[in-house]
Amino acid sequence: MSRGAAAYFGALLALCALVALAFAIGRFPVSTGDLVGAFGAKLLGLTHPLPENVETVIFKVRGPRVLAALIVGAALAAAGTAYQGMFRNPLVSPDLLGVATGAALGAVLGIFLSRDVWTIQAFAFAGGLAAVALVYWIGSSVPRHDPLLALVLTGIVIGTLLGSGIALLKYLADPYNQLPAITYWLLGSLASINPSDLGAVALLALAGLAPMLLLRWRMNLLALPDDEARALGVDTRRLRLVVIAAATLMTAAAVAVSGIIGWIGLIIPHAARLLIGPNFGRLLPLAMLLGAAFLLAVDTLCRTIASIEVPPGVLTAMLGTPFFLWLFAASRKGW
Amino acid sequence: MLKAERLAFGFPGRTVGEGIDFALAPGEVLCLLGPNGGGKTTLIRTLLGLLATHAGVIRLNERALQEHSRKEIAQLIGYVPQAHAGAFAYSVNDMVLMGRTAHMGLFASPSAADRDAAGRAIETLGIAHLAGRPFTEISGGERQLALVARALAQEPRVLVMDEPTSSLDFGNQVRVLGRVRRLAAQGIAVLMSSHQPDHALQCADRALLLGEGRAIALGAPRDVVNPESLKHLYGVDVRIVETTGGVHTCLPDYALRQ
Amino acid sequence: MREAFILVGVLCSLAGIAQAKPVTDGAGRQVSIPVKVERVYAAGPPASMLVFAIAPDKLIGWTRAFRPDEAAFIAPKYGALPELGRLTGRGNTANVEVLLRERTDLVVDAGSTAETYVSLANRVQQQTGIPYLLLDGRLDAVPDSLRVLGKALGEEERGSMLAEYVENALRDIKGRVSRTRPEERPRVYYGRGPAGLQTGLAGSINVELLEYLGARNVAAETKGGLANVSLEQVLAWNPEVILTTDPNFYAAVWKDERWQNVAAVRAKRVHLAPHLPFGWFDFPPGANRILGLYWAGLLLYPGAFPADLRPRIVEFHRLFYHQAPTAAQLEALLGEPGVLPK
Repeated sequence: MSRGAAAYFGALLALCALVALAFAIGRFPVSTGDLVGAFGAKLLGLTHPLPENVETVIFKVRGPRVLAALIVGAALAAAGTAYQGMFRNPLVSPDLLGVATGAALGAVLGIFLSRDVWTIQAFAFAGGLAAVALVYWIGSSVPRHDPLLALVLTGIVIGTLLGSGIALLKYLADPYNQLPAITYWLLGSLASINPSDLGAVALLALAGLAPMLLLRWRMNLLALPDDEARALGVDTRRLRLVVIAAATLMTAAAVAVSGIIGWIGLIIPHAARLLIGPNFGRLLPLAMLLGAAFLLAVDTLCRTIASIEVPPGVLTAMLGTPFFLWLFAASRKGW
Repeated sequence: MLKAERLAFGFPGRTVGEGIDFALAPGEVLCLLGPNGGGKTTLIRTLLGLLATHAGVIRLNERALQEHSRKEIAQLIGYVPQAHAGAFAYSVNDMVLMGRTAHMGLFASPSAADRDAAGRAIETLGIAHLAGRPFTEISGGERQLALVARALAQEPRVLVMDEPTSSLDFGNQVRVLGRVRRLAAQGIAVLMSSHQPDHALQCADRALLLGEGRAIALGAPRDVVNPESLKHLYGVDVRIVETTGGVHTCLPDYALRQ
Repeated sequence: MREAFILVGVLCSLAGIAQAKPVTDGAGRQVSIPVKVERVYAAGPPASMLVFAIAPDKLIGWTRAFRPDEAAFIAPKYGALPELGRLTGRGNTANVEVLLRERTDLVVDAGSTAETYVSLANRVQQQTGIPYLLLDGRLDAVPDSLRVLGKALGEEERGSMLAEYVENALRDIKGRVSRTRPEERPRVYYGRGPAGLQTGLAGSINVELLEYLGARNVAAETKGGLANVSLEQVLAWNPEVILTTDPNFYAAVWKDERWQNVAAVRAKRVHLAPHLPFGWFDFPPGANRILGLYWAGLLLYPGAFPADLRPRIVEFHRLFYHQAPTAAQLEALLGEPGVLPK
């Protein structure tokens, strides 16, 4: 079996195993028999008497959370993969142009104004889109400079500005009530996922994914210097705009429901690239599989190792680093 | 095939050169000779449509360049830049396949026909043994050959090469330049920039000498590449010597002093 | 000539020393307080409340301005005092220069007496030369804090009287709780934040009231401060009563299908804590929580606590806020959805 096929197969297998495990464990005790019975009832109409609340836990609490972890993990990995290719730099994360910081500012503002969960998420989503729109508008208005460099610098500057806005709001927030809520949001969590959130996130993530899949061959050409790509027939400016829009849509949707979960958009594309090479058409699906599996594993740990929630950002870094170092040591040189 | 008429070129806000007139015919090799900073690369980028013209017209296949879409230009002109390392380890195969993009639809992936065309280009350049290797792990010369293969995969009518032998050792230089002559023999028009007078004298049908953005001379190499024009371009003394078979070579004066 | 100056200087400082009284504050610090204290800066809401209760005319300002609905419970001349910002603790918005500009005689802070806050108090005191009293904010320590503060402000009688009131109230509450049987003590979940998934762990100041009332905090299996929990965990705990301080969560919990099967939701025992003029249940963590004890006590042990909270509220407001709420204000306070069982 070729190396690429083996990687896919392995990732898919791991994912299925993790999904099964994620459904089976949690703070609410659900026996295997009940789990199977519940699925049997849902899918095949078999009757199975269930203890109180088990159905709610499996299909309305755990289920949506598992799906959310898969979607958010896949979305962040896809966005990271697209950006790393587009910016020709393997050290780039989906937040390069400020989408996560913008989303954070939106959410923090929502919390500061004591809004309900849906409004906070909507603010976050809008904040992420607005931040990138601003960065793109400014970055592409400086025609004399290398377009990518202009975007990166603008992204850094605007990101810092937005970060200072967050710091200001944290400072002004009521320290008893709003500040803890802000702090927890910034640490990220999938705990408050709602079945209705799920539909919206899935739709938006798909809307961002579609252009990436359709343009997967052309995206490879973004790895070449701009002149070469254009000479090969690619409208680099328009392609970059589409990629940025798609990645931003996916990331803003993900961050709106999960808060800031770092590391996935940076490390997972690397890992996938070490396994299967940089060809975007093969890289993207593998990165998404790995991202989904990784976040699911992390989130399952976050919600089961203690009665209180552990922020996923902490675990993604702790687990991701050794995993990545192992992959890196075992691979050939070059990204 | 590719014509420049009273062409002025440069960057937005700064004209680098003007008064460029030439016509490149199929099967012809035109060597663009000049020192570094003289405008060769800027002229090439303008001819490819990557920079806007400041005055004059560029005609590709009799139509003005701006009337062609990016895709159409890519189907007619193959660009071979100087070899670079690149950030990602695409295989040589994939790198050459990128040349087929001009013939593919917007959402398409390479088809079997595209892979065949890429394979043929790789064979032509004699690098089939490198096809699966990562682009970042092969030598500079092999990379240059791969980039020529990529341009060939575009199935172009014109090849525009920017100093294709700059980073190559002697053996690879000989190989690449040999290819150039064979490609021209198949009917492709070749525009090749260089700062080596010998390239003009030995590989080209005509030479365009470019100094400070202006065409110093245009014509058969043995006519225009002479000690006066080279002194004008480079500020050094040379002698043009005829050797076996009527071929000329350029000898710098340090080689003549004993 | 020089000796004369030295003599005058020594006499003046002796006079100054003679005009100060030593007070031991809640952190065990010996603070020298001038005999005449006219202008007091309260470093945070719990301290504001204590100073305002004992000597409202000596308070020079509030840490944040009142919103209109909060200000309605305070006499306008006090409600309009300037906003001076917080000084220590989480979130520090006041400039130490403000203390000097306002010609502060005494700084009062109430809350944690941990080493961090002690060193902060000492630093401000050294930097400005203004005496800084650090009081213990825990419920049991409120009477002592009132007495110490009364002495410092020259209002010993009033301080004593208020301290006795609080002692009696706490004794009363403890008595009522002790008369309930252990099996009557419900399992309570305190949900904070818009999603209701933030809670207080065992020993945290946020659930001090629950622990005081002997209620079984479902999150008490872990010790700590605030923490996030998952909905699944709450379902596993299946609390009998849910208390919250977030109106968004209160509104959403009835409509969210995932919460419907929680025992507390089914029994309609989900309650929203009142928040005017200062929050009753969790924050600010000051003497205002005395009312919260009666409120929560009523909800947790309906038979053991007086069903009509109004007399208590009126008495507390008179003593601590110097203004009895009108009947309409009481209705609004108690009638807000979720405060009392339907």
